[in-house]
Amino acid sequence: MEERPCAVLLKFPGTNCDEETARALEEVGFVTEVIPISALKATSLVGVSLVVMPGGFSYGDYVQSGRFAKLVTEQKIGDTLTEFRDNGGYLLGICNGFQILTQLGLLPDGSLVENASGRYQCHWVKLDKQCAKSPFLTHLPDQFEFPIAHAEGRLVTGTPEEAKAYRESGAAALTYTDEVNGSFEQIAGLQDESGRVFGLMPHPERFMNSADHYDPDWESGVDGEASRGSGYYLFRSLYESVTSSN
Amino acid sequence: MSETEETILDRIAEVPADHYRILKISDLGGDELFELSKFMKLSLSKEDMLAVQEIYKEWDREPTDVELEVIAQTWSEHCKHRIFGATIEHTVDGESETVKSLFKTYIYDVSHRIFDSKPGFVLSAFHDNAGFIKLDDKQAVCLKAETHNHPSAIEPYAGANTGLGGVIRDILGAGKGAKPIGSLDVFCFGAPDTSLEDMKATDVIHPLGMMRGVVRGVRDYGNRMGIPTISGALQFDDAYIYNPLVFCGTAGVIPIDDIDKEVKPDQVVISVGGRTGRDGLKGATFSSAALDSTSHEEDQQAVQIGNPIEEKKAADFVLAARDKGLIEFVTDCGAGGYSSACGEMLETCGGTIDLDSVSLKAEGLVSWEIFISESQERMVLAVKKESLPELQELADLYETEMTELGSSDGSGILKVTHHGETVCELDCSKLHDAPIRQLKAKWSKKTEAIEAPVLSNAAEDLKSLLSDFAIVSREPIIREYDHEVQGNTVLKPLAGASGDAPQDASVLRISGSEKLMSMSVAVLPEWGKTDPYAMGAACVDECVRQLVASGSDPDRIAILDNFCVGNPEDEEELGALVETVKAIAAGAEAYGAPFVSGKDSFYNYFETEDGPVSIPVTILISGMGIVDDEAHVTGASIRRDDSVLAIIGNTGAELGGSVFARQKELANAEVPQTNFEEAFACYRKYYEANKAGLILSAHDVSEGGLAVTLAEGAFSRKAGLEVDLSGIPMDAAAGKAAMLFGESPSRIVVEVAPENLEKLADLFEGLPFAALGRTTSEHANLNIVWGKETLINEPVDQLKSLWKNGLAQYY
Repeated sequence: MEERPCAVLLKFPGTNCDEETARALEEVGFVTEVIPISALKATSLVGVSLVVMPGGFSYGDYVQSGRFAKLVTEQKIGDTLTEFRDNGGYLLGICNGFQILTQLGLLPDGSLVENASGRYQCHWVKLDKQCAKSPFLTHLPDQFEFPIAHAEGRLVTGTPEEAKAYRESGAAALTYTDEVNGSFEQIAGLQDESGRVFGLMPHPERFMNSADHYDPDWESGVDGEASRGSGYYLFRSLYESVTSSN
Repeated sequence: MSETEETILDRIAEVPADHYRILKISDLGGDELFELSKFMKLSLSKEDMLAVQEIYKEWDREPTDVELEVIAQTWSEHCKHRIFGATIEHTVDGESETVKSLFKTYIYDVSHRIFDSKPGFVLSAFHDNAGFIKLDDKQAVCLKAETHNHPSAIEPYAGANTGLGGVIRDILGAGKGAKPIGSLDVFCFGAPDTSLEDMKATDVIHPLGMMRGVVRGVRDYGNRMGIPTISGALQFDDAYIYNPLVFCGTAGVIPIDDIDKEVKPDQVVISVGGRTGRDGLKGATFSSAALDSTSHEEDQQAVQIGNPIEEKKAADFVLAARDKGLIEFVTDCGAGGYSSACGEMLETCGGTIDLDSVSLKAEGLVSWEIFISESQERMVLAVKKESLPELQELADLYETEMTELGSSDGSGILKVTHHGETVCELDCSKLHDAPIRQLKAKWSKKTEAIEAPVLSNAAEDLKSLLSDFAIVSREPIIREYDHEVQGNTVLKPLAGASGDAPQDASVLRISGSEKLMSMSVAVLPEWGKTDPYAMGAACVDECVRQLVASGSDPDRIAILDNFCVGNPEDEEELGALVETVKAIAAGAEAYGAPFVSGKDSFYNYFETEDGPVSIPVTILISGMGIVDDEAHVTGASIRRDDSVLAIIGNTGAELGGSVFARQKELANAEVPQTNFEEAFACYRKYYEANKAGLILSAHDVSEGGLAVTLAEGAFSRKAGLEVDLSGIPMDAAAGKAAMLFGESPSRIVVEVAPENLEKLADLFEGLPFAALGRTTSEHANLNIVWGKETLINEPVDQLKSLWKNGLAQYY
């Protein structure tokens, strides 16, 4: 039997999307292991193809979201994640995980701050794929929907020009079609230069099935896969990228 | 009181050590005993105190302060439901009857008859922290709802925060630990646009601040715990200005093998999670008393501050420990703190708790404070000695604190030690013999037949209803809650093609099962003001109907009753309660939907200068159902522009209780009664139709009546609606107002493909059913006619905008 690639999900106190994210990864072919941060060692990533930072509220996010998680991660494993990426590993951060990857400096400079509405926002958004090459997005159409659920998802950069440059370079791999939370350039997701590190505010793991969509008549439009949701295609893109680069 | 004045406590206390006192009560008279109760804030009546005195006379000794506090907690209304157990002489229009325990007669016995008729469906009820029903051969689901009214009145954010945190712990403490999978919230407030001049007390929080604080409290706990808040309701009434109601509920799932739990001798009692402090002292006894202006100053310490991450870590620990088979018994620390949790755990087995081992977050706590503190985020477990090392590893892994509190010993005695001395030694079986209260209740018919109002402008009436706080979209609140975390929310609170239309129930997928769980709530306080029986019946009906409409099997539904009442010593208020209880019992029995859990909250009244303001008797019926197949899940929004509409159920002439009647000030109008037998026959037929794939969408008719139901269905913006009311099943006396805006229960509007209408009509042969109209792409209006007369013809967009922005502008 073909060996399945291994994905590790890091769980901080307050991480709460680990189960459904692991389920999504398993569904497309990964074997998964959820590692609570207290048990994380530099050696935990040996033989691992993908590290996922799932959504939630690490340490409550009472200081800037992802800040405390970054400090603990660095204290635990130093720059192992950077080495992991340099050695060909993939990293995915969803929602709070995006905030943590940003704090860790693994993604282009930027901060995820309080939504312009000043509110927590839980609803579905339309997204535009800005980087067709992204190994995380290959199987997705140019425009699709995911749900969001966050209070601090407004991506700001040092200057508005920086955000513009991200859009032009494709670093801003995913943007909101409409104004959602005040993000510069309506950025919803970022990737690094290698393309193997990807962070996004929306939750692909919540849209694995067409029945997850709010409209009971939604269909993927893909022949023979009417019951799949768009999130499935993100994880399958990732799976194929990981297995073909192994 | 000056510092030098001698208190009753000073007169009778013997102080063997700094941390506890022995109280010489054997020589005190009834009045002095009651004075002691008041001074110690025990919330025990004179009769209760005399009973305590009697117990100690039998034991030939005096109680310690710890023991008195334990008894006060155990006998508090909050923990013991004394009023639901009372003997009540109930008089209706001059006819008297004696009800021995509302709980036993109308909740417990009724439910047990249903359990017996459906073997294997209800797997646990009434004795655990939540009741379980069977999902499939491997898993069971549970639901529990609680109120947190008094804490929320004083501190809306923290009160609601810990309200949700507490009910989540109930689920974690149900069986050997159930996994929380979804929450509900139901709030009753004063209207957010209440003017300051209309408020009869200056020291209450304005309803707008109340609402926002409460919503934020629920949001910050539920979202951080990673539990989707999927179901809810809002009600507004002036009486709730002074006593807001905050109901929080949570559902859970558990492997069936992990439901039964038992403490045996020589097990270790451990505490997991937060530390113990002075916060939350006397929450249980506090919530068993009325509020007044001093409550806002004096009782601050009864309200705790929540820490959801602490609870999340404890939850991760409990669920991992359960999966490893390391838990023998688990319960949460709620009202009464360790005294209740350990008391419950050691009730039959007995054992010793050592307060020296409790992990404290404040200094100088005396014995009783440690034992009854309601500090948040604590779970208490009984485990085997040999499991301790593995449990400690899990505690380290999830970064939660675990401490050994004591052990079980088979003695039947609850013993508490502190600084080497025994500060409490109680025969647990004696604790539960609280005196039975004797109460009087009365009710008299308040409604009368009124002349049906003439509709001069039905379109304006509809707009006015869609803007009413009882009907407007809860969207601003729903969007602040994560209702999709865990990735299992199939039917969301807002859905349909536009993603923002209201749904009847919410439906959750359950990991590891083909079956799904549904949840819904019903609360209709306006009905109960004049006809509490009709209110109770309609609440059971609406809850069940929403579950069925959304795809649940009508024969596998269980419900919860959560009551909130003003002053139970007021005969009329208690009478309204008795009438409500009788109605929900009749509904449960007729629908075969047993109660599996319930709670009651009394003393929801506020002393103002003009006298007390009581809330209307309020019943929340929340329910859970089983959906057999994801294909059965049915939303409430119109899906096609070439379909037909039909109505199930009869429309009566009564307008009482309706939002329309309130707006038109139709006082004392007759309130619709529920025909349970006919309704349930319809629900079973509906289920058959749904299983056969005949139903495209279905929306229950509730607040605002049929016109509002149709408008809400059209909010998906898929089609215009053309409806003719002249052929619907109705009472001869029903006028146009009743047809459009009356709130007769048991009705469902269904959308079907034209080719399926006949099949559906055949299925409903002999039951109230009729074609109602069609959906169309020709226009985007809601067009309602009566034969040739147009009653309403309005653009759906305009109606939707009123409904959608009704609350948003105040939020």
